Amino acid sequence: MSTRLHTISALVHNESGTLNRLSSLFRRRMFSLSSMNAGDCEQEGLARVTMVVEGDDGDLRQAVRQLNKLIDVIEVEDLSGNDSVQRELAFFQVNAGVESRRSILEIAQVMHCDVVHLEPESITLQATAEPSRIDQVVALLEPFGITQIVRSGLVAIRVKN
Amino acid sequence: MNTRSGAEIVMASLVRQGVDTIFGYPGGVVLPLYDEMLNWPQVKHVLVRHEQCAAHMADGYARATGKVGVCLATSGPGATNLVTGIATAMMDSIPMVALTGNVNSWAIGTDAFQETDIQGITIPITKHNYLVQNVADLPHVLEEAFYLANSGRKGPVLVDIPKDVFTALTGADFPNEVQRRGYKPSADLNPLSFQRAAHLLKEAKKPIVIAGAGVIWSDTSDALRELAEKCDLPVISTLLGLGNIDRNDTRSLGMMGMHGEFVGTRAVQEADLVIGIGMRWDDRLTGKVNGFAPKAKLIHFDIDPSEFSKVVETEVVVPGDLAKSLPEFVANADSKTNAEWWTEIRAWQRANPIVVPDDKKFVARHVLHKLNELTNADAYVSTDVGQHQMWTAQLYKFRNPYQLLTSGGLGTMGFGFPAAMGAAFAHPGKEVWAVVGDGGFQMTLQELQTAVENNLDVKICLINNGFLGMVRQWQEMFYDNRQSHVSMGSPDYGKLAEAYGVTFFRCSSRDEVEDTIQRARKAKGPVLCEFLVEMEENVFPMIAAGKSNDDIITDPLLKQHELVEAGK
Repeated sequence: MSTRLHTISALVHNESGTLNRLSSLFRRRMFSLSSMNAGDCEQEGLARVTMVVEGDDGDLRQAVRQLNKLIDVIEVEDLSGNDSVQRELAFFQVNAGVESRRSILEIAQVMHCDVVHLEPESITLQATAEPSRIDQVVALLEPFGITQIVRSGLVAIRVKN
Repeated sequence: MNTRSGAEIVMASLVRQGVDTIFGYPGGVVLPLYDEMLNWPQVKHVLVRHEQCAAHMADGYARATGKVGVCLATSGPGATNLVTGIATAMMDSIPMVALTGNVNSWAIGTDAFQETDIQGITIPITKHNYLVQNVADLPHVLEEAFYLANSGRKGPVLVDIPKDVFTALTGADFPNEVQRRGYKPSADLNPLSFQRAAHLLKEAKKPIVIAGAGVIWSDTSDALRELAEKCDLPVISTLLGLGNIDRNDTRSLGMMGMHGEFVGTRAVQEADLVIGIGMRWDDRLTGKVNGFAPKAKLIHFDIDPSEFSKVVETEVVVPGDLAKSLPEFVANADSKTNAEWWTEIRAWQRANPIVVPDDKKFVARHVLHKLNELTNADAYVSTDVGQHQMWTAQLYKFRNPYQLLTSGGLGTMGFGFPAAMGAAFAHPGKEVWAVVGDGGFQMTLQELQTAVENNLDVKICLINNGFLGMVRQWQEMFYDNRQSHVSMGSPDYGKLAEAYGVTFFRCSSRDEVEDTIQRARKAKGPVLCEFLVEMEENVFPMIAAGKSNDDIITDPLLKQHELVEAGK
């Protein structure tokens, strides 16, 4: 079976130790966790966690079942398919003197990045996009010299049932 | 509702849960609870000599009764000493509630004296755990802890309680029922799965059942026996499953796997259908997975869906609590195993018994063979881990569920003696034997004092071969017999027993075995029987780690002529 990235979303009780338990499970069972993202959700006391796991279909199935077994976890869904929207937030701090600033701003415009901060010698951009598009932005900005990249990891939502 | 302290709530919770005995050790932060305990004589507290043994005793209590075992320790080292016992219970899905004290809630995180993050430490080895930060949460947390420990696939639950939570007051009461959103004790039944399983069984020419501890913990031994009788099925028990079918039942083939009986291991390799019931295809059972049951389709019954396809791919999975699924399957199944399959099985069985040597040598097998006979296979028997454990599994013909207490998953040395004590506390007046080796016994023998203080009826069958026998066997077989740190000295057990005030018998020849066991059986209180056996005996059959179950190494004694077949 081939290895790829899977997106899993879990609705969990937001209690002492919950995130610890989730991450402990991935480490203990040797599932490769690319990112994990937790935040409050529409229900009080609960949180929704988006996890990106690398593995084959068997790994994914085990990961979902093991997550389901955790007492903190209310429900788990695989959001790898087409019925979900997935986004990542990223910041890029790029060297930008007078001579290169215009080129960087052109890239930002085409790639739908916002300028969040400007200094005489640098520019800070923000992108909210699918991870592949963020990778693209990274590639386009690299020639100018990127001094910092901050990526949030993926969040995903099911949009069709 | 009257205002109560956290300590009162803990004691009230124990009474409410029907807990009659707890195993623990006091310390600084649990002082308020130990003080409160004096007001609750209905809960017996057993003062152990090491917290690890409090956990093992609670575990033994649970394994021998099917009820939740409870242990208690103070913060820091008290809590960390429980860890091996909790991990042992986790691996074997034993219902246990472990209570620990912690430093005052306002001091947590400051590296206070005897502070440790026991919640963090036990996340991977508990079914669930709690740090109670508010006394008002305590009643519902405790109620939930017992519920989680004892429902679905059972397991240990730890509740960590800061000192100030024991003393704080609350009007909060226990909930009338526990509901944990998202917690489903067992998967829903799938009616189609019974039909598909029954259909596969009907088509099979060589079916066989491997039944595990799930049968014991769901109290479905009767359904298993009915299934075996109705369909004339051969039944193998896993190590932890021993007792799920009467070993004297003609359809029981005993244990299979690394040191299981030849017949079961062989039959699974030849079977065209293997029905796993309440078991998890452990590596000690399957051997090399892709050589396991090569001709068979597999059916898997289990309460825990995460066990499906974890190790092996199965043709049909039957989710749900065995208490519901097994009787349904029995109702659906309507085939009979054909006679040729049984003829093959009986031939393997006749040709490859577990042999008890009939020469001058005095070996552990003589002891276990006699122990089985003299106790009518009806005692509670615990074991440690190693050769004596496997010989016990092979030679003691367990008749009932909850009769064998052994650390199967974690393989914890030092487990046997305290676990037997837990069983003895649970069943006063019943015969309880701890079968231990000289290695494991020396890990937890300080509990002799606990046994003496309680005048506990527990008999210790100490198989002393002066070696860590199983490790030595592996060094002999796989490391050119280069013995590295396996020779094990012991104290003079006679003097040790005298020092503790324990009745002692030593046996150094085959002729004395019966007499020794019978004298131990008649004695009251704790008894230590030391059997000085041949030093370098090996356990057979054997399948080397990582090898296929086809590569079974049989007992060299089978080739000799004068055999005494075990049990005959």
